[in-house]
Amino acid sequence: MSDTDRALSRRGPARCATALRWDRDQLVTAREGDTVSLALLDAGILETSRSAKYRRPRGAYCLRGDCGTCLVRINGLPNRRACLTAVHEGIRIRPQNRLVAGADPSALVDTMLRGGMDHHHFMVRPRVVNQLMQGVARNLTGLGTLPDRMPDAPAQHRVLEPDVLIVGAGSAGRAAHAVLTDGGCDVVWVDRRDRDGIVAEANAAVSDALLDHTGVFGVYVAEGLWAAMRDTPGQPAVLYSIKPRHVVVATGARDPILAVPNNDRPGVVAARGLLQQLRRSDATLAVPAVVIGEGAYATALADALGVEALPPADVDRIEGNPVDAVSLRDGKGKRECQLVALAPLPAPAYELARQAGAAVRWHGGGFSVQRDQRGRCATTAFTVWAAGDVTGYMGPQSAADDGERVAAAVLHSLR
Amino acid sequence: MPRRSFVCRCEDVTLSEVDHAIALGLHEVEELKRYTGLGTGPCQGKECISALVKLLIDKGLADPETVQPFTARPPTEPVTLGALAAGLAPDAGDGS
Ligand code: FES
Ligand code: FES
Repeated sequence: MSDTDRALSRRGPARCATALRWDRDQLVTAREGDTVSLALLDAGILETSRSAKYRRPRGAYCLRGDCGTCLVRINGLPNRRACLTAVHEGIRIRPQNRLVAGADPSALVDTMLRGGMDHHHFMVRPRVVNQLMQGVARNLTGLGTLPDRMPDAPAQHRVLEPDVLIVGAGSAGRAAHAVLTDGGCDVVWVDRRDRDGIVAEANAAVSDALLDHTGVFGVYVAEGLWAAMRDTPGQPAVLYSIKPRHVVVATGARDPILAVPNNDRPGVVAARGLLQQLRRSDATLAVPAVVIGEGAYATALADALGVEALPPADVDRIEGNPVDAVSLRDGKGKRECQLVALAPLPAPAYELARQAGAAVRWHGGGFSVQRDQRGRCATTAFTVWAAGDVTGYMGPQSAADDGERVAAAVLHSLR
Repeated sequence: MPRRSFVCRCEDVTLSEVDHAIALGLHEVEELKRYTGLGTGPCQGKECISALVKLLIDKGLADPETVQPFTARPPTEPVTLGALAAGLAPDAGDGS
């Protein structure tokens, strides 16, 4: 593929070229440091799976690990998040949910059932037909099939009992970590993203103490336990049982979906995630794109991407598969584009705080974690503090200030 | 391929399916979840709960002061069965 077919242009010192293998053996050139999602997007490969019910073509949306629609098979393992996985030489990526490899014979289904195949209702009776139908549907859509092989080494288990656990290495988490380590605390610091993504966002070095690729998946209050899995590609997984005295929840905010027609087409992504991925790869858009969203938040993102922002109320629908235009209502015409970036107001990632006992409240764009003046949101076997966007979207600068303030209060209560 | 606006992309739940459920008298977040499957996909509702609640508030079916999301249970992030099994191993916990 020549550079002119690319969706992105690269600036700055050229990063080393590398390549990934897509589907059955298509060689796609990429740059060192790209995520799989960005490398595929650059090469114009946007459809990576089929949806669960209607078999609609799907690709990455949020580009920051929240939505699960970028799930692909990587080096023989199913359901890997392409947007959180960095490209490395020899990496093999396969789409999920195709009946057999090769020309997709299930395309016939698309021709026969124009409305899409709804496995909840289609051929439910008689029972025999239903059973047959379920067998087919499960292969056409849904989640990937089992791994190719056993893991090379079994997962490990570690128990940690720090003074403070910090969940998240965004602006608030980074600020909190700096304050707490300066104060001499024993801290465990985790983030589900890879170090490169965090460093690119921070635009600065990030402490070696950070456990990257580590997602906290559950809070068990009765056991005083925060459970996390470290899942570094190519290494044995590690289960962490963390029993902290204090926890700073700095999980940030997610980009929810905006309900406009055809908002699921490959090529529809979240504006904030796209911008972060472009920064990580030193890239800019080389193809026409638009932002759908309103208010100062959407305008700022559109400016940063160098594209126009369209208010959702003006949008009649997104067109093409993958996306090729957005048509507008009331004779306002059409905007040709190859990417549509949605810019809904970010919704706080409240789930872990709520599992730990924190209250949440509707706050315009989503549910925000409620806390007292010092920042505490729950006290049980451990004291939980909330900092940054998880308490209501505030943006990177305010989140950093907030993280610093809350961490100072944690230090104070530890003394 | 018909035009559809998705509220829940994981489970393919469209605006019109939510409207249909509302017309049947299902107005609560939990009821709508059970009837449509919204929020039960790989993301466990992270991407769709806000869109649903916004819609209910706009229609006057939910009170912004009191409305609550559905319960968030583990796993909040993906975890493999292999990693969970490591927690059961007899030598679990090296204290490091
Ligand atoms: S989780 Fe990867 S694009 Fe959303
Ligand atoms: S979008 Fe609804 S469960 Fe993921």
